[in-house]
Amino acid sequence: MTLASLDRISPRKGRLSHTTVFWMVFAVIMALLVIAPFVLPVFWLKFLTEILIWGLLAMSSDLLLGYTGLISFGHSVFFGLGMYGAAGALLHSHPANLWLAILCGLAGAGGAALFVAYFSTRLRDVYFAITTLIFAQIFYVIIFTWTSVTGGENGLIFSRPHFAIPFLVDFKFDRYTMHWFVLALVAGSYVLLRRITRSPFGMVLQSIRENEARTRAIGYPVDRYKIVAVMLSGLFAGLAGVLYAVQNEFAAPDFVFFITSGDTIIFNVMGGIGTLVGPIVGAGFFQLLRELLSRLFGDQFPYLIPVGMVFIVMIIFLPQGLMGWARRWLNQ
Amino acid sequence: MRSPADRRGAAPAPILQIEGLTVRFGGLTALNDVNFSVMPGEVRAIIGPNGAGKSTFFNCVTGVLRPTSGRIVFDGKNITGRPSNEVSQRGIARSYQITNILPNATVFENVRVAAQSRRHAWSMLRDRGSFNDLNEKAESALNQVGLLPKAQELAANLSHGEQRNLEIGIALATEPKLLCLDEPTAGMSAAETHDTIELVRRIASNLTILIVEHDMPLVMELATRITVFHYGEVLADGSPAEIRDNSRVQEVYLKT
Ligand SMILES: Nc1ncnc2c1ncn2[C@@H]1O[C@H](COP(=O)(O)OP(=O)(O)OP(=O)(O)O)[C@@H](O)[C@H]1O
Ligand SMILES: [Mg+2]
Repeated sequence: MTLASLDRISPRKGRLSHTTVFWMVFAVIMALLVIAPFVLPVFWLKFLTEILIWGLLAMSSDLLLGYTGLISFGHSVFFGLGMYGAAGALLHSHPANLWLAILCGLAGAGGAALFVAYFSTRLRDVYFAITTLIFAQIFYVIIFTWTSVTGGENGLIFSRPHFAIPFLVDFKFDRYTMHWFVLALVAGSYVLLRRITRSPFGMVLQSIRENEARTRAIGYPVDRYKIVAVMLSGLFAGLAGVLYAVQNEFAAPDFVFFITSGDTIIFNVMGGIGTLVGPIVGAGFFQLLRELLSRLFGDQFPYLIPVGMVFIVMIIFLPQGLMGWARRWLNQ
Repeated sequence: MRSPADRRGAAPAPILQIEGLTVRFGGLTALNDVNFSVMPGEVRAIIGPNGAGKSTFFNCVTGVLRPTSGRIVFDGKNITGRPSNEVSQRGIARSYQITNILPNATVFENVRVAAQSRRHAWSMLRDRGSFNDLNEKAESALNQVGLLPKAQELAANLSHGEQRNLEIGIALATEPKLLCLDEPTAGMSAAETHDTIELVRRIASNLTILIVEHDMPLVMELATRITVFHYGEVLADGSPAEIRDNSRVQEVYLKT
């Protein structure tokens, strides 16, 4: 794994201009994403909305991968429990309540994250990764076989809840409002995650990544920081799961399979770990590549083979990912 | 000269007390029944040939290593086997024989993250640059070790000697009561060594210091008391003059 340089941690002077430029770029991209539903055809709009959701999942994993130096294969579980938590809430509330779905999805993902974190964070490197992978598979088997609750192989199907704030608004999601709703939550999550990575807490995570023993020696209870990092990461991954469930009106066991975690790591590496934006870019790049391949060669085409090859080429030639490359290119 | 008893007007308790400390690595006994105590305000030098167990001793005191047996009492509390983060919070800081910093962070950030372990450690939603108390603490620690002009450099880009001093800066930023310096001058030029020893002398005015140092004339001049390790045991313990005149010490150590 390449070490992403500590994300702009240094200068206290001269930050203002840097920050201004950042927020200007942010505003432009947000504006483009807001008007996208008026411009894009139905298929591509849904595609874009989904990229935002995968981007959120990838960002959540970046908090561990890029900032704390932990490779998590548990993100399929957090995403999946977000999905199933939302599904459960939507099937059991009348009328189906969106906020309850988010709450239950976050509770499910957060609970799973706490459980996984408790056992895995005392381990390091590959042992951490393997432990999270084992937990991912345990959760997968439970969800796959507990048919009476989870619907087993078939998953759960439900209809989309209304967007309702009592006494204020109450409307059915259409593709415009669905996109905006997802955009608002993903953008909000990004701003929050960015704050977290730039906070004192975020610095401790980066310090753990750089030198775990030294971080402990200057007084930090490293295991507790890792548990909180996994919890936070799991909550954002769970939110992504909720959004995916609400958008697609189902929860399916396939998403709990560890392949989802693998994809998440690929998004990160393609886009550039330790950058938050990179993983979103990586998710978009990956999905576009897959779509392109299936359009060119048909649905049955084993897209993972060429995607894998592109991935390897990128690791060799763009070890910092697309964002790292873009940053260097901009600096020149 | 620097007698804490005078300052407090009563017989002071030792700040660090080592009782029967033993460490075995498999068949090798790195420390064997070590007993001694350190009074507040001392500059205690730990000397001894290579492999005598000095770093192992520091590892035990700072919670990096759990001793096989024995007790370590710091400031009246038994800290034996406590993890290093807890030991740090109790007030023991340490610099390492082999440089141990965050190479990819700036010098400033290295020190600020250390200061931050005492305050705002869990703050998640505010930019870390916006805490003035942290910035001031970090600046003062850097100033003490003479690295303020290099604050914005990447730690990896510092010279070896500067990195050694950054080690001390990081330790100081945690506001310790006891500072353990493991060969702070290792690999330094004569001039750098001189500056670092001066630095240690300056910070010694409000801390207790344990220092491992090989340069005998420097040790004799700097330390208020010296403990000599030999094959994991305490060979002698006394004032610099006593150690200089101790025939056993001369035999095993000073003459080699
Ligand atoms: N983790 C370990 N596992 C096994 N043996 C160890 C370990 N750490 C130290 N030792 C051994 O313990 C003995 C004491 O080592 P230590 O590093 O404490 O010596 P030292 O006095 O600091 O020497 P130096 O002056 O070379 O730094 C040595 O024989 C060393 O090889
Ligand atoms: Mg040593």
